[in-house]
Amino acid sequence: MSSTNLRSEIYKTIGFTYRNYIITKRNFFTLFETLFWPIIGLISVGLMGAYLNLDKNYLAFILIGAVTLSVLQVSQLDVAYVLLFDMWSKSLRYTFVTPISIFNMIFGAWFFGAFRGLVAFLILVVSGKFLFDLNLLIDPVGLFIFLLGIFLSAMIIGTLTCSLLLIFGYRAEVSAWTLTAIFMLLCGIYYPVTLLPPGLREMAYAIPLTHFLEFYRSFYGFSPSTNNPALIGYSLSFLFLILLFLTLMWASDRARKRGTVTQFSE
Amino acid sequence: MHSVECEDVWMIYRSLFSEKVALKEVNLKIPRNKIYGILGPNGAGKTTLISLMATLLRQTRGRIEVLGYDTISEFREIRKRINIASGNPNLIWSLTVYENLRYYSLLYGINDRKAVEELIKEFELEEFRDVEFNKLSTGSKQKLILARAFVNNPELVFLDEPTKGLDPPVARRLREKIRFLQKDLGITIVLTTHYMSEAEMLCDRITFINRGKIVAEGTKEELKRLLKMRDKITIEIEGIVPDLRLEGVFAVERDGNQLSFYVDSAEARLWEIAKEVARFGRIKNISVKEVDLEDVFNELAK
Ligand SMILES: Nc1ncnc2c1ncn2[C@@H]1O[C@H](COP(=O)(O)OP(=O)(O)OP(=O)(O)O)[C@@H](O)[C@H]1O
Ligand SMILES: [Mg+2]
Repeated sequence: MSSTNLRSEIYKTIGFTYRNYIITKRNFFTLFETLFWPIIGLISVGLMGAYLNLDKNYLAFILIGAVTLSVLQVSQLDVAYVLLFDMWSKSLRYTFVTPISIFNMIFGAWFFGAFRGLVAFLILVVSGKFLFDLNLLIDPVGLFIFLLGIFLSAMIIGTLTCSLLLIFGYRAEVSAWTLTAIFMLLCGIYYPVTLLPPGLREMAYAIPLTHFLEFYRSFYGFSPSTNNPALIGYSLSFLFLILLFLTLMWASDRARKRGTVTQFSE
Repeated sequence: MHSVECEDVWMIYRSLFSEKVALKEVNLKIPRNKIYGILGPNGAGKTTLISLMATLLRQTRGRIEVLGYDTISEFREIRKRINIASGNPNLIWSLTVYENLRYYSLLYGINDRKAVEELIKEFELEEFRDVEFNKLSTGSKQKLILARAFVNNPELVFLDEPTKGLDPPVARRLREKIRFLQKDLGITIVLTTHYMSEAEMLCDRITFINRGKIVAEGTKEELKRLLKMRDKITIEIEGIVPDLRLEGVFAVERDGNQLSFYVDSAEARLWEIAKEVARFGRIKNISVKEVDLEDVFNELAK
């Protein structure tokens, strides 16, 4: 790839980051998404822990779950909505007629999603410390690996939602919320996955987020059920992403055959 | 080389329970550096055809080449060089004029703030530069949609009913703008429209489509010749005229004492027809109407 080509790919990607940034800036409710719900989540889970007299490590266990869920939810929305914005405003054809690839679209939106997720995380770090004496910055390198893991999970959910939107139309919007809820159930956000009945447990281990949670909780004295949860989490993430990128490419091509793009432009 | 070539193109919209043939057997060659018009009634397949050429759809059968590239295997090359604008003015609501243009030029890999400002000037949108899209008037929205189509300096622009829903003076200014841009930039414009006057004013060549098929194609002059074929001679007569077989007559309509002859040329056939009809009664009145684009459109749209 020549340097002008590379530069042009970067601009195409940044285009989506730019658009998500402007939309977020204009929309009061995104402030809620980024600030309000994460803090509400942290406080209610923290208070529940206090009421149940949990010791410090167990409190950390469930609070890490609450933080993960919030950060995941905030950062996946940017990716999941990248097509939805166009569908709502019936401008899908103007995005599809440009020479962008799905990678420009997904990564561009994801950069901003990760940024928002990071903001939400930092707010939770401060409130967690202040309210529940929770130290989330126990291991900086580990934290980086953990956060990137959550952001990759956000990309997985977002990409899947985009594919579903192209295949099933608006109604697939619910998947953006549903998928996070299913993740919440399976990945052991508030409990170790060993608690799950067999069958569900295997499914839990197939999801990368399970391993990222086990990885970060290991710093708080909970031993993971595999030797190298971070490595497994990343390998699974890449596997999922490759499959999902192929799915999204297929869904875009299908949309061209079926007229989905023009249908969402009238 | 042509800017667009379609070879036996079919478009069938398939869903779980239904199939809709939107285009069939479309063969078309669109020349370069001209304004080309696609006319047809509602549901004829104009948007489908233009979207196929703009790589937004993928044909079920046949081949389409745009600027020498295949729309299926080389669509990304095409997308760099073309653009579209539709008369349904829809862009992301909460982005301003500037932000919309900036966003789309980034999607073409262009990072040039000055070019965006110039585009805003060129399309007389300065006063709305920082107005969000959903707060613009329809006319300004339409201008912005058109401006957007030029962010990548395209060689070929597709306009789907560019003046839809505009006041006549606004529509006229936009048409003038389209004409000016085409000449000034030396590009090809393919547009669809319902308005005959628009086609007359703008288009160097026109194709009529109806129910997914091309029914006529040509330059204005060629079409006019085609139109001449359908001049209408109406004769009112006292008496009963049997079915006549006359040279140059394509169709005869009866309405009481009135007979309408559709002929290739009124001038050439009038005398012959009148003489023949006069054998069956006294002619009370004769009128001749040369058919205009509007009539042809109505005829072809039947
Ligand atoms: N995505 C789609 N799925 C199924 N059928 C479609 C789709 N898009 C268009 N059609 C059908 O295909 C036919 C041609 O539609 P098209 O929009 O191309 O017509 P048009 O000439 O642009 O009409 P108009 O003047 O109303 O804009 C219509 O019968 C329409 O209902
Ligand atoms: Mg149309």
